[in-house]
Amino acid sequence: MIEIINPGLQSIIVDSGRYGFSDIGVPRSSALDIFSYKAVNFLTGNEDGSPVIESIGAMLSIKFHEEMVFAVTGAWVEGVLDETPFTSWRSIKAKKGSIMKIKKVNSGFRYYIGFSGKMGIECIMGSYTTNLECSFGGLDGRPLKKGDLIRFSNIIPVDDRFIIKDAIPSMDPPHTLRIIDGPEIEYFTDDAIEKFFGKKDLLRYTVSTKSNRIGIRLEGNPVEFKEGVEKSIISEGILPGTIQIPGDGMPVIVLNERTLGGYARIASVAKVDQDLLAHLKPKDGVILKRIDIEEAETLWILKQKSIKNLLKNK
Amino acid sequence: MECLRYGECGIRIIFGRTIDKDINNRVINFYRSLKLKRIAGIIDITPSFNTCLIEFDSTVIDFKSLIDIIKGFDVDTTYPKDLAPKEIEIPVRYGGEYGPDMEFVSQWTGLSFEEIVEIHTSTVYTVYTIGFIPGFPYLGTLDKRLFVPRLKTPRTCVPAGSVGLAQLQTGIYPFESPGGWQIIGRTDMVLFDYNKPPYSILQNGDRVKFIPV
Repeated sequence: MIEIINPGLQSIIVDSGRYGFSDIGVPRSSALDIFSYKAVNFLTGNEDGSPVIESIGAMLSIKFHEEMVFAVTGAWVEGVLDETPFTSWRSIKAKKGSIMKIKKVNSGFRYYIGFSGKMGIECIMGSYTTNLECSFGGLDGRPLKKGDLIRFSNIIPVDDRFIIKDAIPSMDPPHTLRIIDGPEIEYFTDDAIEKFFGKKDLLRYTVSTKSNRIGIRLEGNPVEFKEGVEKSIISEGILPGTIQIPGDGMPVIVLNERTLGGYARIASVAKVDQDLLAHLKPKDGVILKRIDIEEAETLWILKQKSIKNLLKNK
Repeated sequence: MECLRYGECGIRIIFGRTIDKDINNRVINFYRSLKLKRIAGIIDITPSFNTCLIEFDSTVIDFKSLIDIIKGFDVDTTYPKDLAPKEIEIPVRYGGEYGPDMEFVSQWTGLSFEEIVEIHTSTVYTVYTIGFIPGFPYLGTLDKRLFVPRLKTPRTCVPAGSVGLAQLQTGIYPFESPGGWQIIGRTDMVLFDYNKPPYSILQNGDRVKFIPV
């Protein structure tokens, strides 16, 4: 069993996502950084798909009521286990009664904490993940709070594991996001497209403080619609990573909490770069770089293969 | 029927360019038939007013193979009995504390409270699509006399069960949520139960009739 001493800024239970129900409006609500999510399960000897904690900010603190192994992935953190410092991307053995605390987040935004056992979280609609908006899944559909107790079964011994530094992507701003053309790209003027997809790697946008787990708002030059074109579409299915342009021209990147959208979609963040969306903090600079669909597809297939190889049990 | 690529792992099937009962009916027939086929590699299917989005896992099936399957596939318009569209009656308390925008709707449309209720309850609506939040049905088509714009500033909190109007649609909030529709009433009916399949009482293509209580 673990006890939440301090939940930090926001901590929720996530997994690989609630799939198969977009036809009744249920979004996937999955972990935002899937590589880090898979890696934390690997480091703690869990199967892919197991529930883990997704957290932001410092101060998170957890007490271990029994001996187990834990690991942090995603953002690079400075933490202490009782007095002993630790960092992200390797497994750590915690003794019964010990307390871990995240003191600082150095690089990146969201981090994932996994434990070497089966977390006692109810599976709702095929997933452990939290739908915060509608308050279901995870732990009673809400963020973790002080005093929460999470039970474990089948605590397993795990050998020392770590992820080599070369395999961990940079999470420092400015963030370069590769993007592909969206379904409504023809709604925008040539000039707007030229500026948005600019050939040079120019810093054009910063992440707005109004961003949240539903969408990332970008601030910068508004994207201009062609004259006379409708600024919205008949609502239809939308995929995570899509960049919508609402009437005010300010791009919004859709994350994992919506199944339908009604704004014009100028582009999509290539899947190979979507994990990075978990680490876009307010005020970070964003560089957009246009690639074609074939390149995006190849990069995505290669990335999945390399993750699979990296996280293979030896 | 037009098939367009959307992102690395999405296909948009386009059935028309407008909100229309017949177009939507074709979307829903296609979606139901595709869902029943359980094609390996299809992760999610999202039918909406005039399109259907298919998301696939590119490590299981590639875009071209999936397009070939879709183009060659017969849309079945007959259903096993338990999958046929249902007609559901939803009891609604109109106006007062349950319908904070009833007065605005009355002013905008020039209709009385009784006339609004009469018109709203006399149509059998179709569930054109479900989304925005789990189980939220977009019901159409609303009688033109009840056409109202969305709220200028959306409410931060609309109570669960609220029945709203927006342009030529009416809908029901299954969960407490922010929202910009004009609220005219509320139902006690539970529209979404995440503990019990099929989770959403209303499914795409179902028919809905509101009953004043």
